[in-house]
Amino acid sequence: MTMILRFLSRSVLVCTLLLFLHSTYCSANDNITYRLKWLRNVSVVGALYAEHNQLFSKAGLNVTVKPGGPERDAIRELELGRADFGVASADQVLRARAKGAPIVVIAQLFQINPLQWIYRPEKLQLGSLADLKEKVIGVTFGGNDESIMRTLLAEGNLDSSQVRLFSVRYDYTPFYRKRVQLWPVYRNAQGPIITAQLAQEGEKTAYFNPADFGVKFVANSVVTHVRTLKEKPELVQRFLGVLLSGWQQALDPENEKAVLSLLQHYEPNIPQTIQQEQLRITRTLIQPDPTVAIGRIDHAGWDQTQEIMVSQKLLPHTFALQEILKPQKSL
Amino acid sequence: MAQGATTTAESMSLICEKLTFTYPAKEAPILAQVSFQLITPGFHSFFGPSGAGKTTLAKIITGELHDYTGQLITNGLDRILYSHNKERLPGWSSVDHHLSKVITPSLLPEKDKLVDLFGLADCVNARFDQLSMGQQNRVNLIRYLLQDCDLLIMDESLANVDELTRETIILSLKEMFPARYFIYISHNAREVAKFCDSILVFQGSNQVHAPRMLQGCNVRTNTERNSAELDAVLLEIMNAA
Amino acid sequence: MLLKRILQFFLLYALFIGCLLLLKYSLQLSDYVIPGPVGMLQTLTTKYRSYGLATLNTMSIAVIGQVVSVILAFTLGIIGRQSTWLGSFIKVAAYNIQAYPIVALAPILFILLGDGFLTRLLIAAMICYFPLLLSVLGIMSKPVTDIEHFYRATGRMRWQLEVKIRTFENLNQLTTVIAGSATLAMAGTIVGEFIAANAGIGYTIRIALYQSDLAKILIALFFIGITIAIYQAMLELLGIAIRRAWTGK
Repeated sequence: MTMILRFLSRSVLVCTLLLFLHSTYCSANDNITYRLKWLRNVSVVGALYAEHNQLFSKAGLNVTVKPGGPERDAIRELELGRADFGVASADQVLRARAKGAPIVVIAQLFQINPLQWIYRPEKLQLGSLADLKEKVIGVTFGGNDESIMRTLLAEGNLDSSQVRLFSVRYDYTPFYRKRVQLWPVYRNAQGPIITAQLAQEGEKTAYFNPADFGVKFVANSVVTHVRTLKEKPELVQRFLGVLLSGWQQALDPENEKAVLSLLQHYEPNIPQTIQQEQLRITRTLIQPDPTVAIGRIDHAGWDQTQEIMVSQKLLPHTFALQEILKPQKSL
Repeated sequence: MAQGATTTAESMSLICEKLTFTYPAKEAPILAQVSFQLITPGFHSFFGPSGAGKTTLAKIITGELHDYTGQLITNGLDRILYSHNKERLPGWSSVDHHLSKVITPSLLPEKDKLVDLFGLADCVNARFDQLSMGQQNRVNLIRYLLQDCDLLIMDESLANVDELTRETIILSLKEMFPARYFIYISHNAREVAKFCDSILVFQGSNQVHAPRMLQGCNVRTNTERNSAELDAVLLEIMNAA
Repeated sequence: MLLKRILQFFLLYALFIGCLLLLKYSLQLSDYVIPGPVGMLQTLTTKYRSYGLATLNTMSIAVIGQVVSVILAFTLGIIGRQSTWLGSFIKVAAYNIQAYPIVALAPILFILLGDGFLTRLLIAAMICYFPLLLSVLGIMSKPVTDIEHFYRATGRMRWQLEVKIRTFENLNQLTTVIAGSATLAMAGTIVGEFIAANAGIGYTIRIALYQSDLAKILIALFFIGITIAIYQAMLELLGIAIRRAWTGK
């Protein structure tokens, strides 16, 4: 009798456990978490548009869009199973792959890196890289702007002793006070704000874009777990299709009014005229050429990003990028 | 010789008339209608059980407590000090060092004399917390005795001191400080009866009557001891308490 | 005591790393999420010199910051002990300053003082001083009546004597609080470096965070932990020496 009871109780326990695992697995199938790289602003407007207009649910997907931040790392969350898709910069992806993280890139959001340097053209002429000599240049030490700037200096045959690299923080005062001549900003997000502030003081601004000098460093891309791509390719296709459609619609000038009202909702302190400018610039960074599809993976850009990182010892060696870059058929 | 000896001791007196005091949080007064007079220098005593109001009255006399009713006249007693047996000296140097720092240099020989009389010669180089409780009380008393004061209230200042030494100390004080007023607060009925000039006897905390002033034997050095007189005073104290 | 502290730290660190590795291998996580032992060892061998120097740099600021905060806490504690208008004003000001998060004040300090030594020092001192101030205020505001009575009654009490008595009577508590505040001084300096500096182990951690390199962060934590353990043990030994010299025990 005791044996039977023990057997029954164990069976119930095992069944409960199996049911629990099954329900967890099912809910994981239905619910998708998409972790952004940064807070909800113009740089993620495509995802915001898709979320706000219920494009995901219309496609039968239950997607939760979660904002990112300095302490959020989408790649870690993918590996820990807390997110299904995420946004990560190319350097993050390459570093993670170098350490065995099983992630793949399924789309590249920015075709032109928004990370550029703002400067005052009346005080500074930047016709060639050699013009950077003896300038005070802001960089985030350890950030990818440092890697980009060091590459630019190397390309211009300058060593770091010929310029003064200034450690950049959250606050732009050193640039406003003209202690620093070139300051790194996200061209589409902070750029219009600073430009407007300096315009009020009668100062003109310009942007130093590394791509203009032949240095391409890929920015934000959409990533997922290798397992997700392998086991649920259809889900990946559907998700990405909706996300990129969200971007397409958000950048369409016909939808500008609705998009601006969405941006006002998340950043009410930024004047709409500035948000309009932010959106205009974002269009040129996401889709600089109408013949290029949104989300296209720029292999040449990835190659160069990888080379830069290897040359600066941020990566031990180069990788076969076809293992990492997995563009989807719909693109 | 003693402090206060230059002033006219006869002109000094402590007069208390119908003094009543109630602690702020209490309803019943701890002191009610207390009246007494001390008109001669010497050893006087407050005697009674714990909680009867002896320390409260001492603190009123020193000015630590106010808001009483009735009258308290400290006629000529300008410098009043209150010492008690819970006091400590700082522990960072020896007892002798502390005593020397709080005594006028001209009185240093007096200090040495008192140290000998109080049986502390062997321990003055120790720190305060290394002394026994009786030694600590004696050291504390010495520093008060050598201050410029007209009235010194000694609240159980000789607690934990053996009887023989206590007797020696009290008799020495009478000799060395004849012009000074002392109020000796003690629970030892025999001691106050024997050595004090007048004794204010307090009743218990639920006292019905105001404290009564009695006459003590006021024994001094070389005074002939009269045990019958002492027994009579003791009996009177017991009746009054 | 020094050896005991170091051993205790090694034990704690080993437990911490052990737990991380257990998590890594049980969940089959990559070296990107949790680095493996080989990766950690490699980082240690390549970075021990620069991280060691960065930690010493931070430590030197923390020590100066702690000294400044001890002086500040004692000054404010001594003035604030009195139940006067000034005393109450100082108490309110001290509590208010503490109410502002340091990360909110740091950018202002950064604008005013730049991103160098002074900013780090000030942030370290500000984080470290409050618990010290609370202790000093508590100690200095509480009379030691059984000692102070005589000096007050005889008119001999001076503020210096009052402070000396209260310090002596609470020496154990004060030395414990000061030794304990070493950790806060170090944490304050690291926060300062993280927000507004170009040197020190906090700045190094910031760079490692940008590079998502957990191995570097773990090595930095090792250096921070071992330095704090040694510094705290040395402060405790100093406290014992002071107590022996002053109390004779």
